[in-house]
Amino acid sequence: MKTTLKLFSLFTLLFAFVACSKDNEGTVPEFTVTAISAESATVGTEITITGTNFPEASDINLTFGGVAATVSSATSTQIVTTVPNGASSGAVTVTANGITREVTPSFSVLANLVNATVENLEAPQTGGQGQPIGGPFTKFSFETGEVTDSETDWDIAFRGTTIAVNGGTVTGTNDEPARNGNAGAAIASGLFTDVATADGLTFEVDADGAFAIPTGSQEGWYNYNPATFTVTPIPGRVLVFRTHDGKYAKVEILSYYRDAPAEPDAFTDESRVFTFNYVYNPNDGETSLNAN
Amino acid sequence: MSLNKNIYLLFSTLFTLSLVTAQESPIEPKDSIITENLDEVVVTATRTVRQLSSLPLPVTLIPKEQINRSGVTRLNEILNEQTGIVMTPDATIGGGEGVQIQGIASDYVMILIDGVPVVGRSSGNLDLSRFAIGNIKQIEVVKGPSSSLFGSEALGGVINIITEKPNTDNISGQISHRAATFNNQNSTINLNQRRGDLGYSLFVDRLSTDGFDLTPNSEGQTVNPFFNYTLNGRIYFKISDQLKAFASGRYFLQDFDIPSGTSEERDGNIHLRLDHDVSKKSSFEYEFYYTNYVTNEQTVDPINDEILLDNDFNQKLFRPEVRFNHNFSSDNTLTVGAGYNLENLERSLFAEDITFNSQYVYAQYDFKPLEKLNIIAGARFDNHSEYNSQLSPKLSARYDLSPYWSVKGSVGSGFKAPDFRQLYLDLTNASGGGYSVFGKEVEAAGIQRLQENDEVANLAVDPNDLGERLDAESSVGINLGVGFKKGKLRSDVNFFRNDFTNLIDTRILAAKTNGQNVFGYINRESVYTQGLEVDLQYKFFENLDLSAGYQLLYAFDKDKEDAIENGDVFARDQQTLETIRLDRSNYFGLENRSRHTLNFKAFYEVPEWGANANLRVVYRSRFGLTDRNGNDVLDELDNSFVDGYALVNLSFGKTFFEHYQLQLGANNLLDFQGSNPLASQDNEQLINPGIQLFARLNIQF
Repeated sequence: MKTTLKLFSLFTLLFAFVACSKDNEGTVPEFTVTAISAESATVGTEITITGTNFPEASDINLTFGGVAATVSSATSTQIVTTVPNGASSGAVTVTANGITREVTPSFSVLANLVNATVENLEAPQTGGQGQPIGGPFTKFSFETGEVTDSETDWDIAFRGTTIAVNGGTVTGTNDEPARNGNAGAAIASGLFTDVATADGLTFEVDADGAFAIPTGSQEGWYNYNPATFTVTPIPGRVLVFRTHDGKYAKVEILSYYRDAPAEPDAFTDESRVFTFNYVYNPNDGETSLNAN
Repeated sequence: MSLNKNIYLLFSTLFTLSLVTAQESPIEPKDSIITENLDEVVVTATRTVRQLSSLPLPVTLIPKEQINRSGVTRLNEILNEQTGIVMTPDATIGGGEGVQIQGIASDYVMILIDGVPVVGRSSGNLDLSRFAIGNIKQIEVVKGPSSSLFGSEALGGVINIITEKPNTDNISGQISHRAATFNNQNSTINLNQRRGDLGYSLFVDRLSTDGFDLTPNSEGQTVNPFFNYTLNGRIYFKISDQLKAFASGRYFLQDFDIPSGTSEERDGNIHLRLDHDVSKKSSFEYEFYYTNYVTNEQTVDPINDEILLDNDFNQKLFRPEVRFNHNFSSDNTLTVGAGYNLENLERSLFAEDITFNSQYVYAQYDFKPLEKLNIIAGARFDNHSEYNSQLSPKLSARYDLSPYWSVKGSVGSGFKAPDFRQLYLDLTNASGGGYSVFGKEVEAAGIQRLQENDEVANLAVDPNDLGERLDAESSVGINLGVGFKKGKLRSDVNFFRNDFTNLIDTRILAAKTNGQNVFGYINRESVYTQGLEVDLQYKFFENLDLSAGYQLLYAFDKDKEDAIENGDVFARDQQTLETIRLDRSNYFGLENRSRHTLNFKAFYEVPEWGANANLRVVYRSRFGLTDRNGNDVLDELDNSFVDGYALVNLSFGKTFFEHYQLQLGANNLLDFQGSNPLASQDNEQLINPGIQLFARLNIQF
């Protein structure tokens, strides 16, 4: 009787085990995808794909326009990845257990934000100290990242402490460039990285008698110290620009003196020489201002 | 009638005598400490004669003896050695010096000579080196708001120079000459005589110096050679036993020898007073005061004689005042006063002559509800032609816990009217780049004028707000202290807190087409100063007096503290120049305030040799001069700090042939020079001109 019981138990266990494994193998649920967190993004942007029944991260293959992407984490309902280097616009696909599903047929990989420093941009002027101010503005294009002579393809322009934008109308000062673009400017407050988007800002344009970036100490971007005769950029002022063709950039001016000395000396350091950091988003309609 | 008169006379005499006795004999004669003279009496704290050690207010008394032994001759030099008083250089060092009390700037400190105010400030600072101190009895400094008695702007304190009264039948006085480094030559004649009912004092002081230079590598001197004269004559006349007259005239003339142009300063005053004892308990004082301060400054181009700057300043103040004292009992005094101020200023930078007038009344009741409790309650009401009427109340009390211990406290408020400059300045600085500054009363017209000339690029304020009245700056000061005196030791600890609101600041009204700004004034800042003062005096042995003082000071702008708390204040990293966010620990506080100031003094005397010696050390810790990184806050990233430093002063004196005193000494013995952080790279700039040796011969008769 005892032996019979033992044998029965063994068989039952064996049956249960075999039945179980057989049952599992036969009912792998097919995964589905329901959404992607963005239809467009720059390389390196974190993307979340949601759906159901996702397998483990190691069993998932992802591609962006045919370029494989790394899965950073996965749960049964969510895959987190980043847009891979070299990705091109096209379909985003998820492959697992021999099944491939298209998350979106047309993901666009955006151009990378440009994060650069312009050193020693010269912005001379004539006159001043009570004399009428004149001289041409030094024009700058965010698209090329360089000073330009173009009459139309410029975004901002410098002369002395004055900054003009290629938008609005002439202000009435001598020798200023004609405005023929859609540029504008807004002044934000915070650390450079705090200003993450151009969304929600109000952009001013140049107008008769007034620049979009107000002139004068403490008004716009700088402070004039009458004791040391120095012009210093106001810490925490971030200039956000709409470019002549409707894109966005942010600028932090670092210095008004050649080679950006930490303690400028008004008598020995050459002034009217700008050094600034900028971030430019070259993608149409994109307001993000922080590179990944 | 005759009998009445005699009784009257008798009482008056008794009263006068009792006053004199009160002044001359200390209430506790067993007290032997003489360092700062415990038995001395002061008049500034209450406008009545009070024993220093019994007062409920923080008062510093500098006796004549200390001034003489120190060998200094100007007011700023002796004040700098007192606890909690700092002579501050302005932001560009070498310019005017201001006096700071409990961290409160010199704009809010009144300087009085025999109880009447001196005028003539430049940017709020009164140049205290203007005041020769060769003929004074003592200097009294009352810290904290004393507005209720002396005038609205005494928010930070009052410094009262009390001149000496003649008290000998024969002519007494001194003739002295002091020669010091920088060819500093100071001659003084002081004569006093009292004959029966008539007494007079005559004081003549002449100072000349070659000046000094704090910028050895650049052209010109920091302080140009100058000379000045001080003349002071005083007459004391006893008309009757009830009626005493006092008349004083003072004239000061200073002339700077500047390379191209002239700079002249004149300061005169006339002070008349009648003291009338109407009964043995009641007396009136009638006072007339007139003062006139004039500067003429002209800078001419050395090449073509063109006038570059012409700055004339002519300020007049006329102040009649009546005071009434009534002693209900010996510890129970009522003081009532009323007066009228007429102030006039002509200044080349103002559009027109300006006249202010104001009327004021004040009352004070000084009484002892309990044997050990003294209370002084007072208030002042000012009615001014240019701003709202103001009431400044004050309450102070002192309680003697034991013969050794006492506690004292005072609370007072005061206000300071916008000054002439803040109301009427109309300046366009051509040599400074073409910026403009307008006082409140002229800003609307000024902006309109600039707009008509097409000089305004854009307005920064609503045009309807232009010319809106400025409010008076106001403050509340609290002092709480504990005093201990026993045998050879005397010590005082005082906590203070002063809260200022509505401080007047500049703001930008508009940007000009030349890139410069138009500035105006606005009530904006609220700041506080708080801290602790400790004074110790110890008579080591018979002829050695030691004293030490310390002040701990926290002085901050409340709005800036809030802004930093909210993360709205930024600075630049000194390497990358990128913006970083400041936290509270980076905020240093108000400009020109040292957290710690210390002084130590030792006075030693050898009577058998007729000799004396003293050593005085003054230390102030690190302080900042100005914001340099454009965030409008003095922070640790501003490269504008002066490291802490000590000045050591030493002097020796010896009397020969009874009447001749010779004194030798050195100020700034360690030759501290420092370095100004604001100086440009290749242009060294010093904080102090260095050691100054002096010799002084005094003939006393």
